[in-house]
Amino acid sequence: MNRFLKVGLTSLIAALAITSAGCKTRPKNLTNLPNSDARAGAVTELQPSNPIGTGIGNGGRLTVPPGNTGPVDLNPGRNPQDTGTGTPLPEDPFTGEGDRETLKANIVYFDYDKATVKKSEQPKLAAVAEHLKTHANAKLQIEGHCDERGTEGYNLALGERRALAVRESLLALGVPSGNVTTVSFGESRPADTGHDDGAWAKNRRAEFVLFGGNAPAVR
Amino acid sequence: MIQQSQSAPPLLRFLGLACTVLQALGQTTFDAVVDGKATALVPIALSGYSGEVERVLKFDLEVAGFSIVSGDKAQLTLNGKNGAQVEGTLLDQGKRSLFARAYPGGNPRLQAHALADDVVQAAISGQKGIARTKIAFKHEAGRRNAHGETVSEVFMSDYDGANPFQLTQDGTISRSPAWKPGHRTLFYTSFKPGRPCIFSHDLASGARSPVSNFNGMNDGAAISPDGSRMAMVLSRSGSPDIWVSNLDGSGLRQLTKTREAESSPCWSPDGRTLCYASSEGGGSRLMLIDAGGGTPRTLQTGGIRGATEPDWSPDGRWIAFTRMGGGENFELYMVPANGGTAKALGAGEDPSWAPNSRTLAVVRRRGSTRKLSLLDAFTGQAKDLQSISGSCGQPSWAR
Repeated sequence: MNRFLKVGLTSLIAALAITSAGCKTRPKNLTNLPNSDARAGAVTELQPSNPIGTGIGNGGRLTVPPGNTGPVDLNPGRNPQDTGTGTPLPEDPFTGEGDRETLKANIVYFDYDKATVKKSEQPKLAAVAEHLKTHANAKLQIEGHCDERGTEGYNLALGERRALAVRESLLALGVPSGNVTTVSFGESRPADTGHDDGAWAKNRRAEFVLFGGNAPAVR
Repeated sequence: MIQQSQSAPPLLRFLGLACTVLQALGQTTFDAVVDGKATALVPIALSGYSGEVERVLKFDLEVAGFSIVSGDKAQLTLNGKNGAQVEGTLLDQGKRSLFARAYPGGNPRLQAHALADDVVQAAISGQKGIARTKIAFKHEAGRRNAHGETVSEVFMSDYDGANPFQLTQDGTISRSPAWKPGHRTLFYTSFKPGRPCIFSHDLASGARSPVSNFNGMNDGAAISPDGSRMAMVLSRSGSPDIWVSNLDGSGLRQLTKTREAESSPCWSPDGRTLCYASSEGGGSRLMLIDAGGGTPRTLQTGGIRGATEPDWSPDGRWIAFTRMGGGENFELYMVPANGGTAKALGAGEDPSWAPNSRTLAVVRRRGSTRKLSLLDAFTGQAKDLQSISGSCGQPSWAR
């Protein structure tokens, strides 16, 4: 009995020691991200609250002895190399308000779960290539989109694959590669919010956004 | 018989707890559950709790594979009360005490979570509670920015959706959060620079750095269990492929080289293997590849086609995934990590394992919005997260 009592006491003391060590450094409140817009609170109905500090990050691995449910710091001092610097990124020619109207008639549509440019869509690409050749300063962003019948992870990749297939075709038509970039929105920006074949067909697409050239000035 | 209280002198508290420890040592864990592999719900009765504490206890225990029943049908009984502190005595069918504990400090919610975790640990052998873990997720409020983009931001919250906290304020598309295991660092993709870029965000300081900013796609970051490497999807080679680098983006290496799209990489717990989805050959299937490079091999999923979004359980045994069936509905499955027959887990998508290798955070579509649920892979019991307005997706469980 004495031996058991001793075991119990020892583990309890050890547990308390661990706990108090864990509480020593209280996490700081989150600061705004570097360069982020000051829009706190306006973005969603969720209210930022109780930022961090309670058993984040390792779930079951962190032992909190009964009787202490206060904030516990996670692996204090183990991640010094991860404090980022917020290094500014290089200027991106594709930022700002793009022109979606000029090439609107040439939106390329795809078959379900396919990223191949159909023969019926080829004349549209010829028109886009022609525009880019006659507007040497124009930069083109190709947006890849999907219908809602794929998962989010799958659709992001499929949308990118569609945009890249269009880009490949444009390069084959003589458009300089440095002037064309791609971005995938997956299923997050449907052209038609319906849930039927008609809506899905409109959503499986690649859209063209022009920057520079005859487009409105880049911000 | 609560043996610890705030008013008792320290020595008495020590002795009291020591006795509780002894008592627990003398008992066996719940025998309806073998090696944490319960397939039946464990009936438990609660008495003496009220308000938020009662709600939290019920939620936590139901997520963990218990069913809340009346006393006469219960195989376990949790007696206690809440007030200045939460107290609990767990009794088996013979009215023997498995433990009796009190939870001062923190707040009532946290006290209830701590008690629920202890019930799980005492009742189910080999199982640790997850009630005090965190998740990160993508959230859309339905707002569009000046560029017409549907704004999404990265949030984190308690595992039950309580205490949501907004991590990004970029007013553009932020998505695909992934934890650095064991650390308070999140990786995610944000369109803040005008195009998708993967950031590493230190939660303690709030500072973040771009770590992958190539032309085209930079998405789907997944951090290796030892926290040294990052797998991700880049399209700089001309199609979306799986790449691996150090966490600062250095040491970049291309693992897959297909013309088709690869997506959703995840790590085996030993860090040696990656699982991902590939559309090579039509449809989607799960593939395995050595993390250092090599020839990809197909993960057999028992004839289930359209497999995407794999996530490898922390104990290494299972890979959960989403099946696309060609319609709007998606189904969750899990398959042994070395391939085999896939077990159906019901409706949902984008699974993320909890640290207990038993619970999954999943997404379910409700009309045009998406909600997060917690799914017990062993019993099939699911509980929705605390209601959050708007649409939630891409859960990542801190582990």
